[in-house]
Amino acid sequence: MVYPGHLKKLVEALTRFPGIGQKSAQRIAFYLLGCSREDVVAIARAMVDAKDKLGFCQTCGSLAETDLCIYCSDSKRDNNLLCVVQEPRDVLVLERTGQYSGLYHVLHGALSPLDGIGPEELKLDRLVSRIRESEIREVIIATNPNVEGDATAGYLARLLNPLSVRVTRIAFGLPVGGDIEYADDLTLSRALDGRRVI
Amino acid sequence: MFYLESLLIKGFRNYHYQQLQFNPRLNIICGGNAQGKTNLLESIYYLSVTRSFRTRRDQELVNWEEPLFYLKGIFYKYDLRNSIRISYRKNAQLKVKVNDKAVSRYAHLQQFPIVVFSPDDVLLIREGPSIRRRFLNLEASRLSPQYFEELRAYQRVLQQRNNLLKKLYGRGSRQINELLEPWDETLVSLGSNIIHTRVKIIKYLEKEGKVFFENMTSSRETISLEYAASVEYSEAFNETKEIFRRRLEKAREIEIRKGSTVVGPHLDDLKIMINGYDSRKYSSQGQKRTAALSLKMAEVSLFRKEHNDCPIILLDDVFSEFDEKRKMHLLDFLRDNSGQCFISTAIGIDNLLESISSDYKTISIHQGRASDEVSRPGN
Ligand SMILES: [Zn+2]
Repeated sequence: MVYPGHLKKLVEALTRFPGIGQKSAQRIAFYLLGCSREDVVAIARAMVDAKDKLGFCQTCGSLAETDLCIYCSDSKRDNNLLCVVQEPRDVLVLERTGQYSGLYHVLHGALSPLDGIGPEELKLDRLVSRIRESEIREVIIATNPNVEGDATAGYLARLLNPLSVRVTRIAFGLPVGGDIEYADDLTLSRALDGRRVI
Repeated sequence: MFYLESLLIKGFRNYHYQQLQFNPRLNIICGGNAQGKTNLLESIYYLSVTRSFRTRRDQELVNWEEPLFYLKGIFYKYDLRNSIRISYRKNAQLKVKVNDKAVSRYAHLQQFPIVVFSPDDVLLIREGPSIRRRFLNLEASRLSPQYFEELRAYQRVLQQRNNLLKKLYGRGSRQINELLEPWDETLVSLGSNIIHTRVKIIKYLEKEGKVFFENMTSSRETISLEYAASVEYSEAFNETKEIFRRRLEKAREIEIRKGSTVVGPHLDDLKIMINGYDSRKYSSQGQKRTAALSLKMAEVSLFRKEHNDCPIILLDDVFSEFDEKRKMHLLDFLRDNSGQCFISTAIGIDNLLESISSDYKTISIHQGRASDEVSRPGN
């Protein structure tokens, strides 16, 4: 297919987005061409602003617009509770539940010798000193339920053992509204492992 | 009950164009060597699982004078007619259509289960442990979908752990333990699950295989299966985990020197014993073949119990090395236990077939063509 030069460039740029293939990129490109100039500038502006103004919190590693993120600087949050996650986007997922009001710590990865990621790369010493210098009493480990996430959780549990904090791992299990019948075996056995007294 | 009613082969191996009708029970494919008997079985296998039991390369399957191969089979399942069409053109993607609907290569798997026994299966007895582990993994995955997931996760932990071990040489023992322990934990719990599932599968296979093997040898010989584990397992799951953990601790130094994990189910073996002796070392070619066939037929029995249905059975050239008695026992077993069956043979077995008095069809193959189709109505 022969594209006008600028369209070709736009489509190619858009295919870099995760989950966007050639077809979707074309649709977005034509959508943009149909927009007013102001709208397109506003969209482009939003991207550049986000890139320029967003960084990571000095304390917890979450996305932040200043040195401190909105969670670390919020005095109403429960500073006895700390939740450790792998990626900044995991914080947003937990926030969406509205159930959690404690603080966060983002590792920006998980232990994976194959990718050259060890405890130093995850800056775990910073996590330990943060806990030491704070009023945190419980650490909830919410790394992913896979081989690397489990190893990271295991490593953290041992590392934090000498500190006087309670260490817990979030339970993985059945999706709410899901039917036990349709759960795959591994999810089900994980849910059984994580069962609790009611 | 399901069966292959008819088959059209175009451009596959030494076939150019061949239309065939089959008997719902027993089909005898006869002919001299290198005429196309095995190729015919291979095309049936391919139709059922979209891969060959002889090669991983689809290119090899295309007739050298043709641009592509095309297979069309009509399967009957619970009286419903299903058409399967598969075509492959060199350097293009395989096309699979089930009842005129395009499906992905693997979506079609398991629709028409099939078990094949070929002369190469004797390798299961003769070769090193890895071929038997693969056999166990396949059987275990078939019976437990969870096993497949656990095996994948175990292999991932193993990769991560081996990579880590290579980086630990020369470090202090406290740091070594700190770094290894989280990986050990997952290795032990997944590994112990794998061991226990394998042991269970082996018990089933032994029970079914024993009956078949003893029948084949007129009860003069016996077969037994044993799981040869690098970790001594216990009946109690938690004890197996504990033993596994202790073995890992003991092996620290060696593991770091070698840079790899030296205990665990990835190193285990299935021991096949004939009259109490390791069949890999102490058995004749005939005994090896009978033992391998017993494992395959145990698989058939297991499938039958699990699904209350019979897989299609392909037996490639099984009769050449068995004596009359064994041939009779095999045919008896197939009569009582199999659904549809295809047997290729270079030697005449009509006298045997007549004595088991089932209806069957003989198809003779000569240079990639079927001729002299003989049908025998059953009584
Ligand atoms: Zn923060």
